[in-house]
Amino acid sequence: MDGGYNSYGGGGGGGGGFMSGETSSPSGGRSENRDNKTLRPVTVKQIADATQPYPEAPFLIDNAEVNHVLFVGQVRNISSQSTNITYKIDDGTGEIEVKKWVDSATRDSMDTDEKGPGDGKSEVVLNGYARVFGAIKTFSNKRYVGAHSVRPLSNLDELHAHLLESTAVHLFFTQGPPGGAGAGGNAAGGDAVMGGADDYGGAGPNKALMGVSPLARKIYNLLKSETQDDAGMEMQHIASQTLFADYGCGAGWRGASERGYHFHDHERTHMGYS
Amino acid sequence: MSLQTPRILPSHLNAFHPSSAGRRSTHTIRILGTVSSLRGDTATITCGNNGDVTLILKPDSHLQMGKMIEVVGKVADLEGGQGLGVRVLGTTDWGNPADSDYRTYEQVVEATHRFKSIFYDGE
Repeated sequence: MDGGYNSYGGGGGGGGGFMSGETSSPSGGRSENRDNKTLRPVTVKQIADATQPYPEAPFLIDNAEVNHVLFVGQVRNISSQSTNITYKIDDGTGEIEVKKWVDSATRDSMDTDEKGPGDGKSEVVLNGYARVFGAIKTFSNKRYVGAHSVRPLSNLDELHAHLLESTAVHLFFTQGPPGGAGAGGNAAGGDAVMGGADDYGGAGPNKALMGVSPLARKIYNLLKSETQDDAGMEMQHIASQTLFADYGCGAGWRGASERGYHFHDHERTHMGYS
Repeated sequence: MSLQTPRILPSHLNAFHPSSAGRRSTHTIRILGTVSSLRGDTATITCGNNGDVTLILKPDSHLQMGKMIEVVGKVADLEGGQGLGVRVLGTTDWGNPADSDYRTYEQVVEATHRFKSIFYDGE
């Protein structure tokens, strides 16, 4: 299942290890886009709340694909097995299990800066804080994080900065980039129109699309900028242009419609800006 | 649901007191402060410029004066009607208060409660 780990180990696979079966997991082939290579700072609650459109699909947080996540928390339990170390991490927003595989082949060369035996100063300790970098996984309906790295964290500011960073990224995905609109309706309000976000059009559209999901925004701008005939644009085309699969486009469609920025459609397969 | 311990400042104690039940799914909180007095089974932490909080200690709590600590605890009534305090469940020693910036923590608390969907369930 976890082909990635096996391929590190090498072994007498007779070359088979590099065939398609190994490297492309069920979701891998299709979603090998840049969005899937993100490393996103999150809270444990966001991992627990992450959704999966269908089994084996990439996880979504705030409707954005995530594969790798970064978080910090307190270590509540450590259990060492022969093949892995399982940590229980609590960051105040929830608790999650983290598995770090013990790979005997790479331990000597690559893990020198973490949990090396006898390397006291960089050891993760019970009830101490740790920073975890890994991928969200499920095993028999239980969610856990397959960790690439678990290292101790000793600076309080780093902990707080992480929580603020997670918030900022969450706001980016739910309310769009900063500058377009006073995020969360703070004092500055909609007057704070700043430059910078060319992708999202000028000040006007930014204001009009305030609080709309990034996907709806993308479609809106695509419809505005691309030439099209009377029938509008084919949904498939929009999907390919916006790099979202069809189900995502449907959601964006509804998002755009609900806001009243929706236009006309043609047999439910085309969208147009008018 | 796993245990959630939202980070708060002294001004939030009331909102997380068990008497405001129903609104909150948790009365267990985290709070950060500098140990400013130790009196046997209670202690006081100073939370930047946000006031003091009295802690009701566990027998095995080992606090040191002048250290920055993070407390996980439950909001509780103090004996003799002295207002609200925190019954300690656990503490983490973060060392010298000068090594970190309390204002960053204030921002974290602000974000926690303003954008609570990524921090805790409630209300």
